[in-house]
Amino acid sequence: MEITVELRADTKIVRPVGRLDFESSKVFQTRVLDELSGGTGVFVVDAAELSYVSSAGLRAFLVAAREAGRAGGSFSVCGLQPLVAEVFELSGFKQIIPVHDDLEAALKHG
Amino acid sequence: MIRIDNLGKRFGELEVLKGVSTTISKGEVISIIGPSGCGKSTLLRCLNLLEQPTSGRIFVDDVELTQSSDVPALRQRMNMVFQNFNLFAHFTVLENLTLGPIKLLKKSPAEAEERAMTLLHMVGLADRADHLPHELSGGQKQRVAIARCLAMDPEVMLLDEPTSALDPTMVSEVLAVIRNLAKRGLTMLIVTHEMDFARDVSSRVFYMDEGRIYEEGPPAQIFDHPQRDKTRAFIHRIRTFQAVIDSPNVDIFALHADIGRFCDKHLLPPKAKHNAELLVEELIQILMPDLEAGKTLGLTIDYSESKRQLILSLELPPGVGNPLVAEDEFAELGLRLINNLADSTGCETLDSGALRIEILIKQA
Repeated sequence: MEITVELRADTKIVRPVGRLDFESSKVFQTRVLDELSGGTGVFVVDAAELSYVSSAGLRAFLVAAREAGRAGGSFSVCGLQPLVAEVFELSGFKQIIPVHDDLEAALKHG
Repeated sequence: MIRIDNLGKRFGELEVLKGVSTTISKGEVISIIGPSGCGKSTLLRCLNLLEQPTSGRIFVDDVELTQSSDVPALRQRMNMVFQNFNLFAHFTVLENLTLGPIKLLKKSPAEAEERAMTLLHMVGLADRADHLPHELSGGQKQRVAIARCLAMDPEVMLLDEPTSALDPTMVSEVLAVIRNLAKRGLTMLIVTHEMDFARDVSSRVFYMDEGRIYEEGPPAQIFDHPQRDKTRAFIHRIRTFQAVIDSPNVDIFALHADIGRFCDKHLLPPKAKHNAELLVEELIQILMPDLEAGKTLGLTIDYSESKRQLILSLELPPGVGNPLVAEDEFAELGLRLINNLADSTGCETLDSGALRIEILIKQA
């Protein structure tokens, strides 16, 4: 799994590329928690290039969102592909983690 | 119309055809199926004398081809469409269709062009007559190749895997043209991996194995009630994906890729493929403690062409509980996804004490 991170003012944008199955989710979770430990106000996962998420991937998102909340920051996800958006919907995660249509909307809402 | 008598073909040490015998009547559409390397294409190429048979005889209307010295005349009677189109790259579409009739059938250019345009209309490409082959899509090239074959007014058309070099999106346009020819009563022998198509279009199906026609019969027999072991195994294999999961270190990436390939082979929509992959992963996650305890899971995904159903089944050894009723907190999220991705789920205990889970996968 390829993950890139961009810092814009006080916002960190993480871009995972590929699939979040139970193997790659471990890598993703470790990397995101590592980035969060730097102390960031706003944290956005731009999932535009994420083609697959299983429950293991959802758990990684949940752990990251809780960690961001604990540190007093915000956490959101944007740009979900249709099949991934459906997994967020079916699992009820859209009610737990803020999901925006695209990066612009995510940055606007913080 | 065609009689093949104990046909053999050997390439050095390798005996590809070991005595093929059959008769084919006018107007029959024969699909030839079978595993790779079983001699399907070699049989077609021998009929057209692109390969010289090592032994045996071929008769067309009681004239023995294998003794014939007039090979061009034979190829005009039994013309062939190839996997890779074999169009003349520097000739226009129209020229590709008129060259053979003018040179070999001695038609006048005007007559050849008139017939060519009729055929291009038939395959839906009249507006491409002045294009060069490289300006066409793969599907269009193959439709031109079929029209070119018909321009020679063959009595029999031999099609060697006409869709296997095509992008999946272009397969249906070529199959539609072949279906149309079958309805017009043209005698055809088609080597194909498109089982749904073979079932629809054929009057008879040859299953080839061991260098012979191992079993032949109407599509309903070959696809639904194959009589012989190897036919049964082949038909089962093309419809079924199987994997044994016997370790907690399962390579989920490779497993997903294999499932994806199986779904692509059956031209299933992306949603069906995604749901199959996700269901398998969620089940494995719930059953991870059993895998860690050394248990083995038998995964099968079946695609029923007639019912258009995709069914996942999982066989669990005695002692492993039904993952669909797991109550721990960890399983809850996975189960929520499973229930949403399934049209229905079921569970039965087999005589062996093993448990069999069956899930009808949502495809839309």
